[in-house]
Amino acid sequence: MKTKISKIRRWVNNGNVSRFRFWIQIIAFILFVYGSYFLIQVGQNLPTFACPYNPGSPGTCFLMSVQHRMHTSFSALFSWRGVGFLTSLLSFVLFFIIFNKAWCGFLCPLGTIQDWITMLRKRLGIRGGQYDEKSFKKLSWIKYVLLALLFLIPLAISNSFFGLPKLSHDLHTPFCQICPARIILPLFSGDTSQLSINFSSTVTIVMSSLAIIILALFFVGSFVKKRFFCFFCPMSALQYLFSKIGILRLTKVGDKCTRCGNCSRVCDMGILSIAEDITSVNVVTDNCMMCFKCVEACPEEDCLNVKVLNFKIFTSTEEGFFKRYNPAGDSKELPSEQSKK
Amino acid sequence: MQHTVSKDRYERMRKTGSIHYSMEIKRNLAEMVDKFPDNPQGMNYFYDRYEKFLSGDDTSYQGKKVVASMCIHVPLELIYAVGAVPVRICSGAYSMDQIGTEFLPAKTCPMVKSTLGAIYLDILPGNIDPVLIVNPATCDQKKKMGEMGDELGKPLYLLEVPPTKDTEEARRYWHRVIKKFVKKLESVTGNKITRRSLKRAIKMVAKAQAEYRRFNQIRKTAPVIYGKDAILVTNAYFFDDIERWTQKLSELNDELEKRIEQKVYVGKAHSPRILLTGSPSIFPNVKLPVLIEELGGVVVYEEFCSTSRMIWDTVAVDEWFLYDMIPAVADRYLKPSTCPNFSPNDDRKRKIAKGIEDFKVDGVIYQTFTGCQLYDMESRTVGNFVESLGVSTLFIESDYNPDDFGQLTTRLEAFLDSLKNKK
Repeated sequence: MKTKISKIRRWVNNGNVSRFRFWIQIIAFILFVYGSYFLIQVGQNLPTFACPYNPGSPGTCFLMSVQHRMHTSFSALFSWRGVGFLTSLLSFVLFFIIFNKAWCGFLCPLGTIQDWITMLRKRLGIRGGQYDEKSFKKLSWIKYVLLALLFLIPLAISNSFFGLPKLSHDLHTPFCQICPARIILPLFSGDTSQLSINFSSTVTIVMSSLAIIILALFFVGSFVKKRFFCFFCPMSALQYLFSKIGILRLTKVGDKCTRCGNCSRVCDMGILSIAEDITSVNVVTDNCMMCFKCVEACPEEDCLNVKVLNFKIFTSTEEGFFKRYNPAGDSKELPSEQSKK
Repeated sequence: MQHTVSKDRYERMRKTGSIHYSMEIKRNLAEMVDKFPDNPQGMNYFYDRYEKFLSGDDTSYQGKKVVASMCIHVPLELIYAVGAVPVRICSGAYSMDQIGTEFLPAKTCPMVKSTLGAIYLDILPGNIDPVLIVNPATCDQKKKMGEMGDELGKPLYLLEVPPTKDTEEARRYWHRVIKKFVKKLESVTGNKITRRSLKRAIKMVAKAQAEYRRFNQIRKTAPVIYGKDAILVTNAYFFDDIERWTQKLSELNDELEKRIEQKVYVGKAHSPRILLTGSPSIFPNVKLPVLIEELGGVVVYEEFCSTSRMIWDTVAVDEWFLYDMIPAVADRYLKPSTCPNFSPNDDRKRKIAKGIEDFKVDGVIYQTFTGCQLYDMESRTVGNFVESLGVSTLFIESDYNPDDFGQLTTRLEAFLDSLKNKK
């Protein structure tokens, strides 16, 4: 029995998570973009971009329901509607707690699209951009600002802050108005109506124009930099608030780390702390999307671990590293190379 | 420097130097081979390599473009990728040390003196005639030595190693330095680095690394090979054909694995397990490990730039294009390095701590060459750190001169005895 388990372990640790992820992403993409055609309905509080503007969507991104629920007066918010918000938050957390930030790396359709764009760039052999440390730190803040605005703007529509006039009703669901997913995901269901400028009022003209600009930036940005949009994603910020209680974990044994930097080099988000930090056990940071490429790239036995609670499901090993990065007999080439041919 | 001595004298120096050098090789090799019974069969290849290659009998590199390197910061993958052969020429020869004394201050580190002496007299492994001698700006002595290239009429190239490795600034700087180095390599060899050639080189080196890691795994499991042999194996990585080296190490590993099964161990059951660190032991200067093992200790792990530090760390590439492969290779030679020229250098302490734990070490012996300032300065912090882990340390200052055998023997004996008593 024990040898059987260790055999399975070895097989998993020698495995190619990126390839596995590629297929999971496709399945998740189909589910979150076309789910309703298969009569799937998973509720309103998904911790990922399942855009209700898309007719095929099987559920709703939690950010949308947050904005709706915040669109209320303070007195209502602190009474029965508040309970409604708390229960929706609870179901968001229940979804989230299982996969933790792997929602971003494995399930988010917008993330998947960015990965496909990166694949296209690789196929063309064009060099991608990198962040320097300073801009990385600066950019990391933006998503929190967006998250705060996402709560505050709907509240400011229904309430007056500090005696200021209330905001226009046309600013309802402000984030959705500028979110690229609102435009992109319906396109996959053949709905082009979102790709337009809304001339109803000044506010809608501004917001929908902004959305088109952001959409363009999304494509250009993610072509240049891997997972560019994820830096600005308020969902990622919101998720990080609950990341500590997630049962899927990414942990590091600092003593085993030689700080060779392999993990941070392959990181799509360019997280440096994963290599530099030798004291933290939990190494999931706000920008992490739990794609586990770092674990694949780590050649030190047991240094980086993917755990469900305390049970290791995927571990960095010497053997696995050399299998993935430098196949012994040159027999198999890496997936990224196969695409080049 | 040739102008300082007459041509006649230079020729005489070269002649006597090479005689002394090959005598030194033969003598020290005999010391390592004959005094120990039951050396693994697989070691014969490596013993033979030293005999033939260092003394210049092997001329397999003649006609090939050879890039000579020093230290561990020179990316070998890039050298292979331009179709050249890297040979590391850091020297451990006392005979060359004496030559270096002719034109370097007396208190210079013997390794620097010896290496410069060998460059000066053109007595390099395999009689190579390098198209480029890469001299990384690591310690001050190496830096200053590099300046003598023009005087010596040798193609010395300064590789600008940053003084720290922890910051992103240093890393970016290093990436630029390596890019420049690639250009230099391409111009001296006339070959371009291509996607395919670099990928092949990375994989070739990775195979050697995988095999070396297996070797370490074996040494962790049971004491089946002496440290002096392990040092020879890794030292041979300096100059040997990498694919053959990997093949021969693999054969040795197979043999050692059989030894584990048959329980054929070196040393005795209570032999103290020693971790060796500090200034690098490079053949033929292996008196310290040999002496330790003659006196009943077993060197189980070496934290040297001539051994584990050189081969261990790997390259991981995200996109197999030159734009990603070159920085990836560059990172591998900077980020995990525990060379004391970097400040801070806490990684070295952590590496030693891991070595102590993984290899069940009883005592640490810290070697500093006379005149090697960086290792000398780090000896205190490393020593205190090791003591704080509850492991005894012995600090030894020595040089390439074989005259201090007596004194060393007394100190090592006392240290090993104290470790035995603890066991």
